Amino acid sequence: MKLLDAPINTCCRIERLDGPETECRRLLDLGLTPGEEMAVVQAVPFGDPLVVEVRGMRLALRRREAAWIRVL
Amino acid sequence: MDQSALINSSALTTTSTETRTAEEQAAPPVTPADRVLTVCLAGVPNAGKTALMNGLTGGGFHTANYPGVTVTISRGKSRAELGAEISFVDLPGVHSTVAPTIEEELSCSVIEGRHDSIHPDALIIVVDATQLERHLKFAAFVARQGKPVVVALTMMDLLAKSGQTINSKKLSEALGVAVVPVDGRTGWGVGELMTALRERLTNPFITAAVLAEIPDEPVEAYRRLRAILDASGAVKKSRPLMLAENSLTARIDKVVLHRYAGLPIFFIILGGLFASIFWLAQPFMDFIEWLFKEAGALTLAVLPEGILARFIAEGIIGGVGAVAVFFPQILILFFLMTLLEDSGYLSRGAALVDRPLSALGLHGRSFVPMLSGFACAIPAVLAARTIPSKRERLLTIWIIPLMSCSARLPVYALLLAALLPGAVGKAGLALACIYLASLLTGSLTAGIIGKLFIRKKSDSMLAMEMPLYRRPLIKPTLKITWSRASAYLKRAGAPIIIISSILWMLSNFGLGAQQPKREDGTSAAFITASDLDHSFAAQLGQSLEPVLRPMAVDWRVGVGLISAFAAREVFVSTMAIVFHVADENNEQAQQAGLLDTMREATFANSSQRVFTPSSIIGLMVFFFFSLQCLSTVSVVRAETNSWKMAGLQLLFYTGLGYLLSVAVVQGLRVIGVA
Ligand SMILES: Nc1nc2c(ncn2[C@@H]2O[C@H](COP(=O)(O)OP(=O)(O)O)[C@@H](O)[C@H]2O)c(=O)[nH]1
Ligand SMILES: [Mg+2]
Repeated sequence: MKLLDAPINTCCRIERLDGPETECRRLLDLGLTPGEEMAVVQAVPFGDPLVVEVRGMRLALRRREAAWIRVL
Repeated sequence: MDQSALINSSALTTTSTETRTAEEQAAPPVTPADRVLTVCLAGVPNAGKTALMNGLTGGGFHTANYPGVTVTISRGKSRAELGAEISFVDLPGVHSTVAPTIEEELSCSVIEGRHDSIHPDALIIVVDATQLERHLKFAAFVARQGKPVVVALTMMDLLAKSGQTINSKKLSEALGVAVVPVDGRTGWGVGELMTALRERLTNPFITAAVLAEIPDEPVEAYRRLRAILDASGAVKKSRPLMLAENSLTARIDKVVLHRYAGLPIFFIILGGLFASIFWLAQPFMDFIEWLFKEAGALTLAVLPEGILARFIAEGIIGGVGAVAVFFPQILILFFLMTLLEDSGYLSRGAALVDRPLSALGLHGRSFVPMLSGFACAIPAVLAARTIPSKRERLLTIWIIPLMSCSARLPVYALLLAALLPGAVGKAGLALACIYLASLLTGSLTAGIIGKLFIRKKSDSMLAMEMPLYRRPLIKPTLKITWSRASAYLKRAGAPIIIISSILWMLSNFGLGAQQPKREDGTSAAFITASDLDHSFAAQLGQSLEPVLRPMAVDWRVGVGLISAFAAREVFVSTMAIVFHVADENNEQAQQAGLLDTMREATFANSSQRVFTPSSIIGLMVFFFFSLQCLSTVSVVRAETNSWKMAGLQLLFYTGLGYLLSVAVVQGLRVIGVA
């Protein structure tokens, strides 16, 4: 399932990142590694970017970036 | 054992071998003591590096609860009570070593030993205790370079709040590197950190073995880190997600990022900040105005009557005082901005405007440089380094001169007070409108210029950390406010004094025999002009009249506009001098403040007023657009590595300012505004 399709405020587990290599590598460096728990917390006005939580940290991710994340 | 003494004594040739202890012989220091050691502070953005730098050096370097404030390298000497001098270097934070932005690359080059001039003897890795894994991953990258390292653990107070604990001893054993809890803002733990650092420097056998073995590949790195942390028992109750906790940060974000309320709140926060500059400053302004008036009167009373006394009273005290009146506003602006930055709201603001800004060719991260442009364009241009794509970065730099910088604040404050006499409330709102208008105008300009001139290449990333909200501490906030304010004084002070002196002389002396002689008598060539219209300043200024007439101002204002290129505030001191001189023979005008003098001022040989609503608005439009700051031009040149953009900006904005000012004045006159 795509992270974008996951319900808000629900914990999911990252399966893999499926996107451009360097960009995904930067996400991995930020701690978005497979197996890790994350959740979409809320969407800001305009519905973009999304606020997500991972490893005790809040991140603003554009929808384009969130679309690379597959979750279980 | 006193570690600083150890460093000092052990490597000196004067120390005889007999006095050396056994452990010193076993472990000769890695670095000689007769050289000042360089220690760099490295870490992920927003880890607390700059706060620690301030704690170590006693400096007032700029911290903020926003990732990406430090974008240049700053140096500072260790505080005297911390022992033998060490030169500390604060590095910009690094999110990722892959596809680094400009400031990340700068840090990486120092850490990897590729930098031309900075070669660290050791590094302090600053690690946020609330985000141990991510920060330790970067710590591993630093440790792998093989330089001596110690870890400084920050944000321990926040950790306690969320019910977590970290045992730094156990963590230190597990990682094989000294781990010292600190809080740079208060100086807590800084002494222990120095002890650990000196111990590490004198003992080459300590290596960060475990930490340095963690690989670069993120998936494996994070897996290993978690395994190490779990086995060590150093961390109690780790907190992967804070959803359930209903934490303060989660609750505030619910409101300020709300789907409908988010943007109105954003504008209310910014508007409130700018409006309150005017509202809060009023009592202080009255006091300073009184102070300078008294000083001027005192000078005239004490010094023997003559040119010198008048020069000091009118030229120096009058000129400087005219600008100094607005210094409280500058202080309040810097104080409120520092509070806002430390709160953690900036990242939210950047996230809120990411969508509209990126539609205009900018980036969510452009918001912070734009906002810091309200203090000064120079750090703002540098702050654009955090923007990942070149196109978005150049566009951001292009529009930063439009942001209403603190140098414009005295000008706007003077003109608004002239436009809306006595209405402090309205003037405050008008000022807020000017600031918000400069944000909007800047964004739109970026949209137009971007569409026309800069080709879009590819989408860039946002992936921006939104730090926990933090309550700012009052002492560090005041210190940073003051350090920004004194930088302001340093920048603006000299031009104000120098130009005021020159202008006073140009306005008081003139050529020509038709001048009536003053009692104090002067040489034939330079006759003091009691009649300003025959002074040097007038002769220069009057040549500008054809250009100034469409703006509906006279040559005296023109002299102000030109002198504002030295520094925008000089406009205010120039007004004080040229309009003061004009009314010299009028005793009453001598006593009146600058505003009253300006209100009464008329064009030569006519009763038409110089400062009417339309001409004042026209002047504000001119200052809103024109780029009267040569330091900005030179920093843009340095940051873009070419004169092209810097020169174009200068011509474009100054030209635009003049044309729009003329258009507005003439337009207002057509619809009947005087
Ligand atoms: N609560 C708390 N805040 C801190 C601590 N150290 C720094 N800060 C704050 O954290 C924010 C980021 O600090 P800064 O030094 O600018 O981070 P840098 O990006 O690593 O230079 C600032 O608002 C600091 O005032 C700490 O130990 N505890
Ligand atoms: Mg910093």
